[in-house]
Amino acid sequence: MFHWRSGILLAAALAAGCTTGATDEPPGGQAGPGSNNPGGVSGATAGTGNNPGDPNNPAAPVDTNPNCTQGVVATSQIPRLTNAQYDRTVRDLLGISGLSASSNAPPSSILATDQAGSLTSLGWSSYQSVAEMIAAQVMADPTLKANFLKCTPSGDGKACLHDTIVQFGRRAFRRPLTDTEVAGFDAIVAKGAQITPTGAPLEVAEALLYMFLVSPSFLQRPEITETADNAGHFTLSSHEVASRLSYLLWGSTPDDALNQAADANQLGTPDQIMTQAQRMLKMPQAHDMVSDFHRTYLLMGTNTRWDNTNHDTSLFPAFKKELVPVIQQETEKFFDYITFTKNGSFTDFLLSPIAFVNAATAPLYGLDPSKFGADLTQTELDPAQRPGFLTRAGFLNAFSAYNRTSPILRGAFIAKQVMAVPIGSPPPGAEATPLPATADLDTNRKQVDQQTSGAACSTCHHNFINPPGFAMEAFDAAGAWQTKEKATGVAIDTSVDAMIDAKTVHLNGPAELMAKIAASPGAQRSYAEKWVAYAYERASNPTDACTVNQLAAKLTTSGYTVLNLIADLTQTQSFRLRAVEGAQ
Amino acid sequence: MKRRVFLKGVGGAALAVPFLSSLAEQESKAQSAGAPPKRLVIFFTHNGCLTDRWFPTVEDGALPASALSSTLQPLAPYASKLLLPRGFRSMNGYAVGQTIDPHDQAMGSKLTCAKITEDSNRYATAASLDHVIAKQINPGGTTPLVLSVGAASTKIKEILSFSGPNTAFPANVNPQTVYNQLTGLFKASGSTPGTAPVTTAGDYKVARGASAIDLVKADLTRFQALKMSQADKTRVQDWLDLLRTTETGIMNTPSSCSADAAKAIGATDDAVKAASPAGAISGGAFAGGNSAAGNTNLATSFTLGGDMMMNLMALSMICDTNRMLMLLYPGYVTFNWDGIMHTHDHHGLSHRTGDFSVGGSCKVAGVLDMIQDIDTWYAKKYAKLVGLLDSISEGSGKLLDSTATMWLPELSDGAAHNLNNLPIVIAGSAGGYLKQGVAVNVEGKSIGLGNSTKTCVDGGDIGNTGSFGGNLPINKLYVTLMNAVGCKGADGGKVTTFGDFDGTGTTGGITNPGEVTKLLAAG
Repeated sequence: MFHWRSGILLAAALAAGCTTGATDEPPGGQAGPGSNNPGGVSGATAGTGNNPGDPNNPAAPVDTNPNCTQGVVATSQIPRLTNAQYDRTVRDLLGISGLSASSNAPPSSILATDQAGSLTSLGWSSYQSVAEMIAAQVMADPTLKANFLKCTPSGDGKACLHDTIVQFGRRAFRRPLTDTEVAGFDAIVAKGAQITPTGAPLEVAEALLYMFLVSPSFLQRPEITETADNAGHFTLSSHEVASRLSYLLWGSTPDDALNQAADANQLGTPDQIMTQAQRMLKMPQAHDMVSDFHRTYLLMGTNTRWDNTNHDTSLFPAFKKELVPVIQQETEKFFDYITFTKNGSFTDFLLSPIAFVNAATAPLYGLDPSKFGADLTQTELDPAQRPGFLTRAGFLNAFSAYNRTSPILRGAFIAKQVMAVPIGSPPPGAEATPLPATADLDTNRKQVDQQTSGAACSTCHHNFINPPGFAMEAFDAAGAWQTKEKATGVAIDTSVDAMIDAKTVHLNGPAELMAKIAASPGAQRSYAEKWVAYAYERASNPTDACTVNQLAAKLTTSGYTVLNLIADLTQTQSFRLRAVEGAQ
Repeated sequence: MKRRVFLKGVGGAALAVPFLSSLAEQESKAQSAGAPPKRLVIFFTHNGCLTDRWFPTVEDGALPASALSSTLQPLAPYASKLLLPRGFRSMNGYAVGQTIDPHDQAMGSKLTCAKITEDSNRYATAASLDHVIAKQINPGGTTPLVLSVGAASTKIKEILSFSGPNTAFPANVNPQTVYNQLTGLFKASGSTPGTAPVTTAGDYKVARGASAIDLVKADLTRFQALKMSQADKTRVQDWLDLLRTTETGIMNTPSSCSADAAKAIGATDDAVKAASPAGAISGGAFAGGNSAAGNTNLATSFTLGGDMMMNLMALSMICDTNRMLMLLYPGYVTFNWDGIMHTHDHHGLSHRTGDFSVGGSCKVAGVLDMIQDIDTWYAKKYAKLVGLLDSISEGSGKLLDSTATMWLPELSDGAAHNLNNLPIVIAGSAGGYLKQGVAVNVEGKSIGLGNSTKTCVDGGDIGNTGSFGGNLPINKLYVTLMNAVGCKGADGGKVTTFGDFDGTGTTGGITNPGEVTKLLAAG
């Protein structure tokens, strides 16, 4: 793995100036099904240890051997729900998605911001306030109340409340309560008159619900079963597997079918887990998770290039600020379409001509706006010009500058994020390298080529970053197809010698580039690796290398779909077992 | 006070066990009993400023209101309580080469004086000043109160606080969250401590809360029996400690912490609700899905929300829930409120290009006026906070007097991204520790005002808008502030060092220990 500082020693000439763009660069960031990103999914980091195309040694063979033994990474066994998971969990558990006491805002809007490490006093207090609001709201609404109380309390209500403790507790804690725990909650019922105004059963029920919602076994996703295997790992119980499944595939709590499978101890084998995973991926909740992953893959989110897209409308009249969320949405629809509707594969992301266009975005694609309405409508573009997501308005606009395209931004995204070339951080001051503007530099390409020709810049730029960026010069900053330089009228040259998986390949224009990326084992492996990190809610780890290799090997298989890949994430050792760091 | 709370993750702090032992006995012994608690407040803004319109012309010496720059005019009423330290630099040469992005480095190293990680998150490799201070001076050693307007974010560009190495401590953005915690502490008006309580709905809530805490403790205690990693054990123990600290905190809450006090400073149920956006807040330049509602919520958060955060900071001081407080304003937003209607976001304007690109020619007409709009807006907000704290009595003085309230910038000039010659102002003396009513040149040689407004007047090249003087490591300011609020060094005496490095050498380390005596009232 290449690091900038160590790179100085190993490859001074190379590392002395790889830049990712003549600009500041918004960071990527680690997320998981629990995102919005908790503030510090940290842990072991820095990739799976054998990235292709290492600039330190571009000819180094990549160890992609799938005949390996999967490792199990030590993780926390008591992760707290992220705020996004909290919202979905109370939605699925109780039917609450907005707090009536707080302008119907999502519950997490009042929780403390997601943060790694120990719970803070503000975080704890916010769990209590929100629990109070939810409990009151549930009990005040007969429909919501039915999600909590499955019986009508009669007399002193103790029997019904006891049943509620057992039944609702099972769902809230994602496992049956122990006898001790049931007794603890029963004792609360016995104290009813002291902790409520009148001691009426419904008041006590509200107090019980509040207490479930502030319980560590609800607020965390504990993995506590200590069944050791021979290798020193612990095998998860069926209930813990159910919880992992639902938070991976839905970012939320298990549904009834999954709970039943767990209660029947039918989640012990990979086949049993696969049956559930396939069922769950057909549910609408899975779409949210897949969208969220792809936002991470695309580096979308607040304060990213996607969000900050802006262009000089005197140069790009087809661009409007109002289109920024629309073209982002289009890209998201595209990934959803390929994954679910088409049941497609990784290569479809790079090759499919399907797009979602409305009257406002049609001009960006050279289409007649009068043929489209306000809604984004599925349409088919020219596959010679518009294969895959990298040729859609969203990416092309976001990875451009204000008044011109940025081959560096586009090329760096393709090299680093898609092809996983481990290009380190460039040296200080690199971003201030001026763009030369002499008369002989009559194209953007020539200017950027000259800008990055210094010894400190050229190795990374001329081998890895600029070539894919130059191939993408077929699109202007607003995403329209272009063949001539706007300022000078000079023909645009999109033929390049690009480095694909450590081999130099001559290609011409975006369509040929996309075909190469789609078939690139490096790009496929990178996609699989990012899924592993996302699904397991941690940065990918050298221990994951084998898992990544096996998934990447499958990705190259014809007919292996994205949904196959996601389902296979539940089939690993890491999914069924857990390891404890420094366990005694 | 629980000793365990104190010992967790000291990460980079120079604390010693003998000192901690004494802390175990009494709450916040770092500060003397009886006198008002000393506090540090940091008001943080991004993207620098037009330095040559911000700095007063007086570089060293008495600072009458008439000497304040045009940008700082809103501070004129408080001139006698201001300290303008001139000549500090943050994040000096040792770590400069870590990343292309000056903002990542400026944020991650700003309050840590440590490097940032090589991970994509670019978080800092050490705990930040606020956490180091909070561990020493906060009741129960609780974490600092870190607040922000705008959307919640875990990105390094908006993370200033780190609870430990590679562990971001993101800001809280909803006034309602803070308010809910404080209202739980309010003393019922008219009740006398020690007398039999009147039975009210609130009393049931207290009893219910106590029962809930028993259940939570039982739940956590069961986890303690498991074979857990040290990190997980610490989390369980910290939660248990939190339950005890909360109980102690409720018992020790000052009688002045009441609904009446909250009302007096404008923190009422209705006002907090109005100041707390109910939906998604736009996060980016004109983003958050760019929905109109998101932009409206952003404007609400910057205006009513930020002002309410100030009220809640004052209330947190009155209730003594926190003595280390920060209020952050994110830098990637387009100002469209309070009569300002900008076309580009603050960050893009600060570059003079309107976007992420740097250098080249000025591309935005009237860019200096727009930056000035923002500088002035922030000066008014800082003055509002200072004025608020100066309006609330505490002991024989005001909240402001026992506090050091510092406006700390991310950068000096936004286009130059320079970190020398930082525009910093501190209001309040932290109980008489700091000089007042003066500017102090800490470097000892002429520093100058920088060149922010020398270019872009008529377009043309941006050039170098920064400056070269003013390079005293900011570590020394932090050491001074730590001493001002009562932190102690390893030997129980004054703090002498903070951070991992303060120089330009190749190996890091602290080369210039000690506080800046020129800044002390006694100095």
